[in-house]
Amino acid sequence: MGVDEDGYIFAACTFFAKNHPGEMCGSNGLPLTPSSVTILGQAQRLLHLEHPNLCTYLDVIRCKHERIIVVSEVIGKSLNDFKSKFSFDQIMNIGLQVANGLNFLHKQDIMHRTLSDDNILIDNYGYVKLFNYGMHYMTKGGNEIPFPLGLPRYLSPEIILGGGGPSADVWSFGIILLELCIGKLWQNLRPGPILRRILTLVHAGNTAERIAREHDHYDAYKQVPETLRNIIEKCLKIYPSGRATFSELVHDLSALDSKQMVEVKRPQGLLGCKLQVLYHLWQLAGGDIQSELKKNCLIKNSPPILSMPIAILLDGSTIGGKTGALFDRRIAMYSLKLLKQRLSHISPHDFYPLMHERKKEYDAVTLPKIIRERDTEYQFYRLLWFNRLLHGYPHTASYIRAEAEIDIPPLVRGDVWAALLGISGDIEDQYERIDKETPTPTDRQIDVDIPRCHQYCWLLSGERGHRMLKRLLKAWLLTNPQYVYWQGLDSLTAPFLYLNFCNEARAFACMQAFVPKFLHKFFLKDNSSVIKEYLAKFWQMTAFHEPELATHLHEIHFVPELFAIPWFLTMFSHVFPLHKIVHLWDALLVEGPSLPLFMGVGILRQLRDTLLSSGFNECILLFSDLPEIDIGECVKESIIMCRSSPRSISYRRFTKETISKDPMDLIEVPMDVLFSEICPRISLSDFFSLMCQEKCCVIDIRSNLLFDKSCIDGSINVPYSGVHLAQRELRALGLRPQRAIADAVRLNKNVVIASAEHETAQLFSDYLVKCCVPRVCILHGGIQALHANVPSLFTVPPPRNNGNK
Amino acid sequence: MTAETIQNTIKTFRFSFPTCTNEDLLFKLEVPVEIPHAGSTRELVQRLINMFHIPVYLEDELNEKLAEFVYEETKKFHNERDETLLNKLKNGELNVEGTVKKWEKQFKENIVEYAEQKGSSEEEVFAAAYHKLVHSPALETILQVENSYATTVIDTLKNRDEDIKKLTERQTEEMEEKVRLLNISSTEEDINELATRHFEEQSFAAGRWGSQLDALKQAQRARHRAWLMDTLGQYHEWDQALHTPENSPLATFCPSPLAARSAAVPRPALEESFTIHLGSQLKQTHNVRIVAMDMMQLCTVDHNNPLDASRRLQTALSLYSSELSACVVVSAGGPSQGGGTPLAALQVATAAADHHFPALDAQLRDIEERLKEPVEQRNISVGRGKPGVAAGDVFITRHSNLPDVHLVFHLVGDDAALRAGDITSRHPAMLGLRNVLKAAACNDVSSISIPLLLRHELSEETTAAWCLRRAELVLKCVKGFVIECGSAGGGACLATIHFVAPPNTAPDLFAALANLLPTIFRTSNPVKAKTKPA
Repeated sequence: MGVDEDGYIFAACTFFAKNHPGEMCGSNGLPLTPSSVTILGQAQRLLHLEHPNLCTYLDVIRCKHERIIVVSEVIGKSLNDFKSKFSFDQIMNIGLQVANGLNFLHKQDIMHRTLSDDNILIDNYGYVKLFNYGMHYMTKGGNEIPFPLGLPRYLSPEIILGGGGPSADVWSFGIILLELCIGKLWQNLRPGPILRRILTLVHAGNTAERIAREHDHYDAYKQVPETLRNIIEKCLKIYPSGRATFSELVHDLSALDSKQMVEVKRPQGLLGCKLQVLYHLWQLAGGDIQSELKKNCLIKNSPPILSMPIAILLDGSTIGGKTGALFDRRIAMYSLKLLKQRLSHISPHDFYPLMHERKKEYDAVTLPKIIRERDTEYQFYRLLWFNRLLHGYPHTASYIRAEAEIDIPPLVRGDVWAALLGISGDIEDQYERIDKETPTPTDRQIDVDIPRCHQYCWLLSGERGHRMLKRLLKAWLLTNPQYVYWQGLDSLTAPFLYLNFCNEARAFACMQAFVPKFLHKFFLKDNSSVIKEYLAKFWQMTAFHEPELATHLHEIHFVPELFAIPWFLTMFSHVFPLHKIVHLWDALLVEGPSLPLFMGVGILRQLRDTLLSSGFNECILLFSDLPEIDIGECVKESIIMCRSSPRSISYRRFTKETISKDPMDLIEVPMDVLFSEICPRISLSDFFSLMCQEKCCVIDIRSNLLFDKSCIDGSINVPYSGVHLAQRELRALGLRPQRAIADAVRLNKNVVIASAEHETAQLFSDYLVKCCVPRVCILHGGIQALHANVPSLFTVPPPRNNGNK
Repeated sequence: MTAETIQNTIKTFRFSFPTCTNEDLLFKLEVPVEIPHAGSTRELVQRLINMFHIPVYLEDELNEKLAEFVYEETKKFHNERDETLLNKLKNGELNVEGTVKKWEKQFKENIVEYAEQKGSSEEEVFAAAYHKLVHSPALETILQVENSYATTVIDTLKNRDEDIKKLTERQTEEMEEKVRLLNISSTEEDINELATRHFEEQSFAAGRWGSQLDALKQAQRARHRAWLMDTLGQYHEWDQALHTPENSPLATFCPSPLAARSAAVPRPALEESFTIHLGSQLKQTHNVRIVAMDMMQLCTVDHNNPLDASRRLQTALSLYSSELSACVVVSAGGPSQGGGTPLAALQVATAAADHHFPALDAQLRDIEERLKEPVEQRNISVGRGKPGVAAGDVFITRHSNLPDVHLVFHLVGDDAALRAGDITSRHPAMLGLRNVLKAAACNDVSSISIPLLLRHELSEETTAAWCLRRAELVLKCVKGFVIECGSAGGGACLATIHFVAPPNTAPDLFAALANLLPTIFRTSNPVKAKTKPA
């Protein structure tokens, strides 16, 4: 498509949605959704329509006081701005392109209803696009706005009478063609007389002729080629049933059209990028939609004190007060100048990154994610790169994962998540096959929960959002009959819906892939053992990384059952707002299913000071309404914790991962043993690799007799029988062990307890946690197992002079 | 416009396919389908296949047939409806004139191109001018001018009161004299005559002063507005370089001895403030403050006090901004019923000329007038016996000459239960409060003062326990309302909420009330500097 080098490439128009009079409640007893929210939800579908004869919608913004701003692509100038007349060939060509656009819309079940000469745009090469064709659709047939849709002279008789189906667009199209042939109709008339004239047309035999006569253009009309006249007359039939449809019109017009369209080369460089990307970057570069609207007086801020109502009755009906401003059909236009300047120094080479080329390092990587997401240049590179990778999906899955580890550009987050979850195949078809309509017993609960789920997000709070969320939940429950609806499932679904608002099938596919990976068996009717195991593991991780905090919480009997169930059941989506969840889940999807445990620890770590000084009641209060958490920090810390912890210590039995049968990896213990343990167990193979990397300090708590016979190379002997568990000081262990443990803590080494019998190991590890030693774990199977499997680690200690010091 | 008239219909979709043993014998399928069909036809096909165990090889055919059926039926649906309409029109059965008028009205009232009045109203122009000027170096002059105008009015008021007082004294003397001489030199008739004359004198004096005051206020208002518009013109000429307007009416006043007065203003001693977070997932930050004082203190200004001048400055700066301040007062009755103490106090407070909005009396009269019809209709529809406003109704007055507020929400509510008894969250006064907060949030009020106990003074029947109970109810309800407003409007509306306890609240009761706040609202954590271990 031809894009002028320095021309305007998008435009915005604005209007007010209807205000609900007084206090009205919907059928569910909750307050009615504001009209602007409904429009916002409805308009989302328009953002995903693409057709060569339609200007792409780029954004719909909801502002204060029910204002809606619609941003859309724009090209060339409108029919209205052309002063010269078109030749009949040109008219037929324009007609064909317009009909193509409208045909596409009607196929999508969208009526235009506002077709007029100022929203048909033509560029320098003669390409035609319809502009702002979605007003009727997004406002639900004009129901959500206070003003009437369309211009009087393009209204068909049946619309004036209060009816009107898709064929009303055909009428408007006919009027447009007629105007192109014989000039503007009913100029200088007020709406009333125009409408009256249109209504009297019902008595005419040939509408087009009658109109031409009315305007003294009958001769001009007769000079129009008969073929074109036929088409106009087919459109201007009084009865809609008699009118042609757009598919017929496209057929007829393409037979007549003889114009060779100029091949326009796809623009290179910046303008070759997708419009959505350009718009996004333009905004990052400081582009401000509202300021231009204000400059053109399309947003006038009347002081609120002047529009105050004079009274409000008990039922909520307001008296007095001015309503919103009048609807102004003008638009504000925007060029890319700002963005071009910002990116002017980027070489044309960079627009086409090669996949196997060594990538440049950007210094922005060290900045927090929130700042990176607002950095124009960084996002520019990232978007180019991600778009390229996503283009190659699923073959590029591993690249995408590697890049997602750094960060995910917000604009493509939905696509990247789907890629990370391995979504591929014909998901639409699969989703179509699921019955989302037939009522089920859980519907009631779902209906109760949905209007309470992330309602600050306008997309999710609208009627459309509610309906889709319900469909998704029903579909998921039906496809997973082993599971039941647990409250919180709605919150879990919300982020997927939010990112795939116009792609329900993908939202479903993501959900379907996410649950088994992260929440396997969580939604069973009896999920108590799954949740108990998860919480026990979480508690062990807390002891592992935050021993002091864990000891305090143990002592005040503040157990995770009291606060952490919603955290893990919803993967934190019930606890945080969406803009935080997406960052949390970005990390989750890359790092895998053990990360949430450490995220829980990360949250506790942020609240550490408060928790340490709180008793049981204060803790309950604190978690009943969680204070602000710095998610960036929490994610960073949890990833560090997760990566530095041996894999086996976060092992859970209820996962979908295949369990290795190798005794070296085996770590499973009965549930009741697990619940009694404060410190996690480490598997032999993890222990072996830690030993090889010299990342652990081994404490052997057997008696010194056994130790002297044979021990793990480099281990320290602290005979259990000599330890006073009541004395919570490392000093009590003796100088050498104390120094060894202090060194281990300083160097971030893991402290592994090895013993002959498990009970003593457990008691001793608890003791170490109470002494605030982090990273304490127990060697699974103890010395015997290790000796049986890895005898090479054992050695005979050098004889000591005076026994233990 | 159109969708109201759309009535969906149900059409039956028929489909048949051969039975497996006999090609001529057909299974027949009949499904009612709503036209226009809102969902996807392909999904409906899947449901049919599942429910009726239709062989899958028919899937494609069924998809095609059903889509076609819905398309044709929808088209027919629209066409038939339109045809009926058009036929009616042809036969003259429709009220063409009415329809056209309706459209005409719609276009005229809602779309700029067809609207009669274009551009801004005079009110808006003045608002813009004033807003610009108060944000320019002219601010101080404007405030001084306004202050001196106000002083003039107050002085005139004082003179009036004195004059009338003197008159009354003289009349009393005269009357006493006459009464003393009753049956000596005067008769009862004389006395009656004198009383009549006195009454006439009184009303004459009141009338004279009244018209003088009105004239003064009118003149001030006109002069002030003219001067402001004039100054704005100069402001544009000089662009940014304006310092102090030259032609200010201040020249005609002697500079008021502003600094002479002592600067000590008795500010409320009992107050405490918190920063709170509201909302379960997305948190919104608000400031709440609890203070014991007379609500009317927000509205009274001492024109000779420089500190009060700075209070005025705040409201002047934000008068036409989107950060308004408001207060809620519990009013005994409707706008005309005198309203009890707060309204009377407000009358006094707003005595000086309002250069932006009509005087309080005029506003109240206007409200009374415009409220009459809707209130009556409402009363009939809910079957309320008493006429006039009911508890929970709210009327709103606007002011430009008060020190701390721009808007006063008058919440009607004066029943025994509200004054001293226990009320629930469904009490009309609470619902009224909800409407107030909603209206405030919708109209850019960023700071609002709410009477914590829904009454303005303490009395014997209000025990400490009662106060705590009432305060808890109000706080909890307000919390709910603010969350509700926040989710509907979005953005940080109602940034500051002041809870005003009666001025005579005892310190220990106040402390108990203040302690309620952090238990009901989640206060935000203080930002702690991180102490990194060395």
